[in-house]
This record gives sequence, structure tokens and C-alpha cells, in this order.
Amino acid sequence: MILLRHEIKRNLRSLLIWALSIGILSAGCILLYKGLEESMQGMADAYSNMGAFSAALGMDKLNVGTLEGFYATEVGLMFAIGGAMFAAMTGAVMLSKEEEGHTCEFLVTLPWGRGYIYFWKYAAVVLLVLLFNIVTFLFILTGFAGIGEMPEARELALYHGAQLCMQLEMGSICYLISAVTKRRQIGAALGLAMLLYMVDLMCRIIPDIENLKYITPYYFSGGADIFASGSVEGGMVVISLIVMAVSVAIGAVVYGRRDLAA
Amino acid sequence: MREKTDGYAIEINGLTKTYGKHRGVQNISLTVEEGDIFGFLGPNGAGKSTTIRSLLGMLHFQQGEIKVLGMDSVRQQKEMLAKVGYMPSEAMFYPSMKVRDVIRFAADARGEDCRQEAGQICDLLEVNESKRIEELSLGNRKKVSIVCAMQHRPRLLILDEPTSGLDPLMQEAFFGLLLKYNSQGTTVFLSSHVLPEVKKYCRNAAIIREGQIIKTDTVENLSHSNLRKVKVWEKGQEREFSYAGDMNELIHRLDGMDIEDVLIEEPTLDELFMHYYVSDQQK
Repeated sequence: MILLRHEIKRNLRSLLIWALSIGILSAGCILLYKGLEESMQGMADAYSNMGAFSAALGMDKLNVGTLEGFYATEVGLMFAIGGAMFAAMTGAVMLSKEEEGHTCEFLVTLPWGRGYIYFWKYAAVVLLVLLFNIVTFLFILTGFAGIGEMPEARELALYHGAQLCMQLEMGSICYLISAVTKRRQIGAALGLAMLLYMVDLMCRIIPDIENLKYITPYYFSGGADIFASGSVEGGMVVISLIVMAVSVAIGAVVYGRRDLAA
Repeated sequence: MREKTDGYAIEINGLTKTYGKHRGVQNISLTVEEGDIFGFLGPNGAGKSTTIRSLLGMLHFQQGEIKVLGMDSVRQQKEMLAKVGYMPSEAMFYPSMKVRDVIRFAADARGEDCRQEAGQICDLLEVNESKRIEELSLGNRKKVSIVCAMQHRPRLLILDEPTSGLDPLMQEAFFGLLLKYNSQGTTVFLSSHVLPEVKKYCRNAAIIREGQIIKTDTVENLSHSNLRKVKVWEKGQEREFSYAGDMNELIHRLDGMDIEDVLIEEPTLDELFMHYYVSDQQK
């Protein structure tokens, strides 16, 4: 718990910057909806008939002129990428920053053991991602309160639950990267977040690579699918949980066995 | 509960650690008695830090066994670290944290209330607890490191180049603290380049060179070896060399030379260590 508290304190500024940025952007976007509602209705047909572009963004499944459609495609895009980038970055620096900052010697010679450090630092990644989601969700609710309208609570909860799962998967994969490297891999983390987003777009457009949907966590957490179907694909969530568990387990083995730089 | 130690604070048996193709340390064996102040000497890259980091569990060694205070350094690492205070050569902490928070963090990690002891050490070393780490010089970071290593009154202090960056007054205060803890039963393992401080404070010492321990003895015995500094004046020219071996052989070699004068004396401790430091090829 001491290490968890320590990490939350050290990451508070980064958490606030990301959560406030994404939260304010999301709320602002929602507040714009009322003003854009009429013009969006007019554009909805055009958006839904743009072939591959519509499919990529899920506009073929939802009417972008409705609040659900607008939220899932416009706000959801920002929230998904922003959330994934925050989770990836948080995971990727959590362990390696100690070696890069030369604080590793101080930390690992405290009477904790590497297993304890690994566990509580991962707990910090999970808690930071959770706090990010709570703060941004409060802003989103404020946005809905501002326009006096909100999507169905069930779909909204499913969407944000799936987003949380996607971010935790991203954070876990990047935590593994952090466990095996001696330097902060922020570039690799942000690159991975963007790459998997591109994979999601492409596998929605090109039928031949549809199976890539099992690789990218953006697929099962996509707002358009969840709001259109009212459900999340359970099998994909299981895959995501397995990826998380395997990443954390491999990271634990590697971190427990490798030499640590001073 | 005190572990059974057989009288040794540190027991290293056959430690071998390599980094891929690079040499780390080779088949090192070393014992440090409880209550001792033990000097660990060697040039840069000799393997001092590798030995210390293996001892503390930062490095995974290929062969050997290390016992610290009777505990296996690998299997009982947590228990062992609870009884050890470590001061690394590079005193690095989290830059944005305040000194008092770093000291508190280290104490909390040990689950101990060390405020009184930490306060006393801070007063003695004139540590400004309200400053942030990023505002501190190397010397002041070293002082924070001393507080973190000593505040829980460890049974074993492992110090890697502890005085670098400290001014002479602070060095004096630091060694005063060291002697105080040692008189209370703390064993001190001091890795250093500074020979006068080893001579002044350590009772035993080991010299490591190219990954191998080449000499372990009392500091007194090390200072009085059979190594001799020989100066010879021959045909108006002065020659100086070190000699370790049978004195009859030396006299036999000098016999027949056109010697004007000869001076055979004991080397200083510095010269003695230099004799051990330089490799055979360099001699």
C-alpha cells in the first residue's frame, strides 16, 4: 500500500492533465451536440453512405444525428484514443522509470522484494486508469446534464466498461514492456496505442483481415457496435482478460529474473 | 529474531557473475565478521559494485552462495534487506519529492517509526528536510542517503563510496556516526577508493582486481607486508622498484652491481595498494 500511495502521488499531475483534457474535450463535444443537432441530422444520411469510411467509424450502424450515434462516433473516438494513450504511457514507464532515473537501487534495496514492487506498481497502473475513467466520466455526465439528455444508461455503462477493459489491456501490455526494458518506452507505448487503432480501422474495412479484430482491443470496445447492439462480445472480453493476465505474468517472470541497472 | 550467523555478517562463497561475454567477478570468496569495519578496495571496474549488487539481490549471479547475517541473500532477500542499510555510490532519489518525504518513505517501507533517529542524524549532518531532492547537490543527496541507510539502526551497513561529494567536516561527522553504530554492534562493509580512510577506520580489508579477490587481511598486516621499496644509486643514476620476496635473493641480485648507495624501506599503504592494483602486465 505504501508503494501504491507513493505511485499515485507521483503520477497525480499526469493523471490530472490527461483526465481533465479528455474530460473537458468530451464534455465540450457533448455540449456542442445541441447546436449541431439539426445540421447533424442532415449529414447523417451522407455519413452513413460513405462506404469504407462509414464502416471504419461505425457510422453505418448508428445514426450520427442521434445523441447515441454522435456520442459513440464523435466523442467515443476521442475518448478511446485518449484513454488508450494514457493507459499505455502509464504502464510503459511504471517500472522502467526507476532504472532510467537511477532510483532503482534505492527502491529495490528496501525490504520488499521484487514481487511486491511488481504487484503494487501494477496495482498503481490499474488504479490510475480507473481514476482517469472516473474523472472523465464525471465530465461526460456533466456534459449530458448540460444538454438535458443522455443515452440509455445500460449502453453507456457497457461502453465505458468495455473502454476500461481496453485501457487495462493496453496498460498491461505496456507494463510488460516496462518490465523488460531499462528505459522509458513512451514512444513505443503511444505507437502501440495508435497502431492498434489503425488495425481496428483496417479490419473493419477489409474483410480479408477481419480476424485482426481479435488482436486489437479497440474492436470489442468500439462505441458504435455497443450502442447499436446493446451488448459487448463476451468472447472478445475473455481474450482481453487473457492478454492482460499473460502480459502481467510474463512481465513478473522477466522482472523477477533480470539484472537491474543501478 | 536474530538469525544464526556463525559469527559472520557476510559470507560469500565462490561468487561468479558475468555479463554475457564480459567479466564481472570470478569465484569470489569473502567473509566479514560481525562487528567489523571491513574495507573493500579496488580500482574502477574491478568488480566492487558487482559484488555489492549481487549481495543485495539486484544482480542474479551464475554461481556461488551469499549469506548475509546468516540469511541466504536470494531465498531470504526481504528478511535480509530489513536488517541492512545500504548507501549507493550514486545517491539518487525521486527529484520532485521533499527530503523529509524520502526519509519517511524509506522508514515506512521498513514498517518502523524512525523519526527520532532520523531527526538526530539530520541535525548532525545539517540536512534541510524541507528542500526538494532536485534542489540538492551531490553532497546533500549523499547526506539524505546516509539518513535512509542508518535511520533504522541496521545490523549491517553496506556503503559504496560513501564519502565522495562530502566536504571534510561532513566526512568527519559521517565517520563519527559510523563508529557510533559500530560500537553498538553494527557491522560496516565499506567500499572505497580513499585509502587513508580505510587505514584510519577499517580493521580488515580485501583487495579486488579484475574480478578476483587478490588479498584479504587485517589492515595492519596489509600495511606491513614483505613488499619493499628499493632505491638504488648506480653510476650517478637513481633506480626505484618494488620488491616482494626472499631478501637473500634481493641481496644476491644487488651483489656485483656498481652500487653507490641503496635504500630499502617499507612502502606506504598507498604504494602497497598500488602494488596490488596494477596488473602483472603493467608491473
